[in-house]
Amino acid sequence: MSELTRSLNAFRPELALLVGLLLVVLADTFAGRGRQLATRLITVLSLTAAFGFAIELQAAGTRAPLFSGMLVIDPLGAALKLILVAAGLVTVLAFSFRNSRELAGLGHGELHTLVLALVFSCLLLAAASDVVMLYLALEMVSITSYVMVGYLKGDRLSNEASLKYILFGAASTGSMLYGLSLLYGLAGTTSLRGIQEYLAGGIPDANRFAVYAVTLLVLAGFGFKIAAVPFHFWCPDVYQGAPTPVTALLSVLPKAAGLAIALRFFYGAFSVPQRGPWDLSGSIDWTSLLMLVSVLTMTLGNVAALTQTNMKRLLAYSSIAHAGFLLMGIVALSENGARGLLVYLAAYLVMNLGAFLVVTLVHLHEGSFDLRDYPGLYRRAPLLTLAMAFFLLSLVGIPPFVGFLAKLYVFSAVIEQGRGAYATIAALNAAVAAYYYFKVLKVMIIDPGNEAKPPLELAPVDQLRLAGLALANVVPLFFWDWIEGWARSALVLYAGR
Amino acid sequence: MIGLQHYLVLSAGLFALGMLGLLTRRNAVNVLMSIELILNSANVNLVAFSRYASGNLGGQVFAVFVIVVAAAEVAVALAIVLTLYRLRRTPNLDDASILKG
Amino acid sequence: MSGEALVFWIFAGLTLGSAFVVVLSRTLIYSAFALLVTFFGVAGLYVLLGADFLAATQLLVYVGGILVLLLFGVMLTHRIYDLDLRSETTQLGSGLIVAAGLFVVLSAVALKTEWPNLARLPAPTTAPIGRLFLREYLLPFEAASVLLLVALMGAAMIVRRRRSA
Repeated sequence: MSELTRSLNAFRPELALLVGLLLVVLADTFAGRGRQLATRLITVLSLTAAFGFAIELQAAGTRAPLFSGMLVIDPLGAALKLILVAAGLVTVLAFSFRNSRELAGLGHGELHTLVLALVFSCLLLAAASDVVMLYLALEMVSITSYVMVGYLKGDRLSNEASLKYILFGAASTGSMLYGLSLLYGLAGTTSLRGIQEYLAGGIPDANRFAVYAVTLLVLAGFGFKIAAVPFHFWCPDVYQGAPTPVTALLSVLPKAAGLAIALRFFYGAFSVPQRGPWDLSGSIDWTSLLMLVSVLTMTLGNVAALTQTNMKRLLAYSSIAHAGFLLMGIVALSENGARGLLVYLAAYLVMNLGAFLVVTLVHLHEGSFDLRDYPGLYRRAPLLTLAMAFFLLSLVGIPPFVGFLAKLYVFSAVIEQGRGAYATIAALNAAVAAYYYFKVLKVMIIDPGNEAKPPLELAPVDQLRLAGLALANVVPLFFWDWIEGWARSALVLYAGR
Repeated sequence: MIGLQHYLVLSAGLFALGMLGLLTRRNAVNVLMSIELILNSANVNLVAFSRYASGNLGGQVFAVFVIVVAAAEVAVALAIVLTLYRLRRTPNLDDASILKG
Repeated sequence: MSGEALVFWIFAGLTLGSAFVVVLSRTLIYSAFALLVTFFGVAGLYVLLGADFLAATQLLVYVGGILVLLLFGVMLTHRIYDLDLRSETTQLGSGLIVAAGLFVVLSAVALKTEWPNLARLPAPTTAPIGRLFLREYLLPFEAASVLLLVALMGAAMIVRRRRSA
């Protein structure tokens, strides 16, 4: 009984979300006319509470297994949870049913319930320490995403995207499940800690083949969540077909959770107990495999983005490319790598959400996602363009924006591990990416067109949102020490011990 | 004597057949059926391991959760297929080609 | 051949044979009913493996729930008078190659690996599984309820015709 109480104590962020979820369902059913306000308020409150609990959790620095080893809590996990909840909170605050033309007229209660369920599932996924919990949480994240993408049910594009998403996703997670079943057979247990002990104990040669097969199959599931090559095919269509606020949410949350569990799975299962979490049992050179995936992902994402004119697709490919950069943090296989991953995720949150907010607002006022309708925005909506400039420059990775900080961390982590060629390819990729980010900016600022159109009148609350996110892209640089301290304190990976 | 390997090869066959269906079928409901084959193959693995290799019930518990997830997934997938059919009068995937690579 | 072996081969044959029909049949309704046989075959295999609770769950949920849903899906996505419920196959050749390759690789894994040898003799599993759900696997057990809520709500919401304000 006491283990349960202890677990529940460390489970507070998730509990806050659960309570919020239930209250939203109730409010949606009973609140009558105050329904919209009530559901939004409850969602924001529960996310804020979860955020507060997550901060508390990280400050406490506990390292323990929870719920009989189903979950694990450690500073790194707590930091990741913080980012996940923050992503949910910022998205709910930045987007609303009023500033998104696509969401207008659709159900409030359901969407808010789904958002809370998504964040809850992502938190479970990021902390999973047992194969059963991992699979369940992964599928919870997936199914919630499938439903959210299909939200515009009357829209053909959205519906087809949703279908492709679910079929592709089910196939990937099905393959991963097969791999996990083999892993269970090999190790005789569903707990990651037990699997770690089994793998560290030395694998007979006859079993190496099985472990390779398992790794590849499991990577199918993770790769799908992160949208890494070659499991990225669903990404552009889904990002384009889903309502933009949902796209914004999906571009951060499942990706971050997928990276978190990949980190935990490969470090938790493949690390050697005596030597600490950063040394691997050497069974497989999966770092090289991940490196290959990372390079392919960032290259494909960047190259494909070059020719896109639909802003949502462009940002989709940009997200794919960033997944490649994020993987650098895992490939680096060190404390600095994990630190880089954390900082990059936090930066990615504000950069990406900001860009999607701009796209949503332009769609709200102009009705178009096409880059060819973007010229002249500099004159017609200076604040919007300025904010977009901030977001795009941050995405490129130029100082003084957080994007630069993020790239600095992951690049240095990778170079430190001696992977110079890898870093060079990544740097080239960043340069290629700069081209299309600058292209968007150029179209907005310099290109002629739309001279006769009136200025865009942004609602004050939207201006506030833009300003807030734009500042979030710059201000952290002045608090570098504090961020450094936070990331450093988050580096303890429990790894099942 | 029937042993672990018999079941594993069987499930490998089911998995392969599921993949075949996934890759070649045009009808969305058919693709769903193929995915169910894949999930069942993994479940057979889990139960076989539980019986012959691990000596514990973890595999069976895992299998129950897989069934739960499969049910939820099919429900959502069919909802989407039905909506697609209403909008486009066809459940075929190839015709859903508005979104291109 | 022992009784156990006979039963195994019967169920294995049923399962794989019907799986072939599911994947290769040109008529959708045949695929659906073949899937029914596959599920039954798998349930039979579970019984053979001593997983009584799981076999019952398989029948209740897969056959009684999922298959019924799939049948509805098949029926509702064709006009009532159009009995030609066809389903086409594309690129069978390359698909077969990939599938055959997968089968070979996975069978190799199955046959080559030295699996652990801790057998669990068949015994009633319902009570032990129940205990596991409420002890070690409590969290997934409870979290699954959130999953079911989301799926229920999501599916209903997507299919509902009228917009909600």
